[in-house]
Amino acid sequence: MDTTHQSAPDAAEPAAASRRWAAIQPWITLLARLGLAAVLAYAAVSKLPPALSVQSVEAYQLFSPELSRLIGFTLPLLEFALALLLFMGLATRYVGAASGLLMVVFIAGIVSAWARGLNIDCGCFGTGGPVAEGETRYGLDIARDLGFLALAAIVTIWPRSPLALDRLFGLYR
Amino acid sequence: MGKAAREASRERLRQEREQAKKRAARNRVLGVVGAALAVVLVVVGGGYLFFAQQSAQEQAFADRYEQLPAQTLQEDGSVVLAKEGVKAPVVEVYADFQCPACKQFETASGPTLQQLASEGKAIVHYRPVSIFAQAQEPLSANSLRAAAAARAAADHGKFVQYNDLLFENQPPEGTQGFATGDLKEWGGEVGIDDPAFAQRVEAESKVVDTFTGEYLPRLTSAAQQELSGAEIKEMGLSGLMEWGDDNGVDSSFLQDTYVQEVIDATGAVKDRYSSGANAFNGTPSVYVNGGKMGDAAFSGDGVRDAVERAEPGKVSTEPLAAGAGATADASPEPDVSP
Repeated sequence: MDTTHQSAPDAAEPAAASRRWAAIQPWITLLARLGLAAVLAYAAVSKLPPALSVQSVEAYQLFSPELSRLIGFTLPLLEFALALLLFMGLATRYVGAASGLLMVVFIAGIVSAWARGLNIDCGCFGTGGPVAEGETRYGLDIARDLGFLALAAIVTIWPRSPLALDRLFGLYR
Repeated sequence: MGKAAREASRERLRQEREQAKKRAARNRVLGVVGAALAVVLVVVGGGYLFFAQQSAQEQAFADRYEQLPAQTLQEDGSVVLAKEGVKAPVVEVYADFQCPACKQFETASGPTLQQLASEGKAIVHYRPVSIFAQAQEPLSANSLRAAAAARAAADHGKFVQYNDLLFENQPPEGTQGFATGDLKEWGGEVGIDDPAFAQRVEAESKVVDTFTGEYLPRLTSAAQQELSGAEIKEMGLSGLMEWGDDNGVDSSFLQDTYVQEVIDATGAVKDRYSSGANAFNGTPSVYVNGGKMGDAAFSGDGVRDAVERAEPGKVSTEPLAAGAGATADASPEPDVSP
């Protein structure tokens, strides 16, 4: 995977802009990385205890009880593991991609609940489950997840950042 | 070697170097991704095992009480656990939630007692007391808070479950424990979702604070000025409180509280079993048809043996009139005489 930033050699103007970008980018990625880590860690912790997390998954009416239970148990753990990796900066690009993929799955879930006319809380943070009609906020939830998806995209496209374990292994220096 | 050959070999070397570099880069990526996958596996796998085990335990805890017969709240705040209309020996259990020996008794014999009750072989009469009410803080407040909360749980028909949970979480002697927040939370754990429970626990805990923080020190110092140590001891807490009411230390803040109820229950057992081999002189005290059990009480088999040898007996208290929240009219024939 090539991570060095190729600058256009033709004009002096773009070259300077590109140098400036090369200096700023690692800090932008660091912010995105830690921001996404915080979001995921908070999402994981707020879903616990697992019984409540299972309840949130069941509200989507997409899976069998057994599968809902499995997802309810492992989803907060997966979020926490991704948060941990983003925080440490290990395999940054791939973890960023995985986080982005997770956001896409979440958005798909919310869209499906919306399309089926369910009245549920998305259970993104804290406990989900049925809510009163007119109390749903799918649009807002999707917009928020798109924001997190953007953070994940930044981390995936420009994985180079300071304070990352990857650097110890010679990656994204 | 010709010039062309040299060129070719140089080119080959360059390509090989290039490939080695690419391989090294790929290995680095694979290594890091592998490490990341290992982290995910450990967190998700380990966490899953932990959650699964935890939920299995919770399920086992919930199932444990499936066979439990009716719990009938009595007028004095005690609870009778027995199958409806059953004729069986009566096992009275006097315990203080803060007493370590009571915890040992509950651990060793509690499940057997519940089983005997569910088999219809025993009528188990739980009679919580507070022998630590006058002890040093935090012993006294712990003991009273827990007893009052257990009484509140009895209002919702969950005394036995709550009793077990209290002993499971007994604080070590001399440390703060049975915090109001915990007591409320445990209510939810045993399946009480009525907010009245939490409100009652909150109110009783405030009464306990007043009791141990203001009332008891005032009562004790007033009594010490007028009475001898032997006299105070002889009176017991209930007697001392009566003396206080006649001598300007007002106990009316305790009226209609569960704190008062457990203090009364503690005074009553000292009168009920006042002398001889059956004398009540500490907790836990276990009586089968009014006869005190010795160390055999501390084993499930010991309790089972004693119950199997005994004749059917009579419960010495009356069930509390319906409407108080407990499971109604499931108790065997009451007998007023102690």
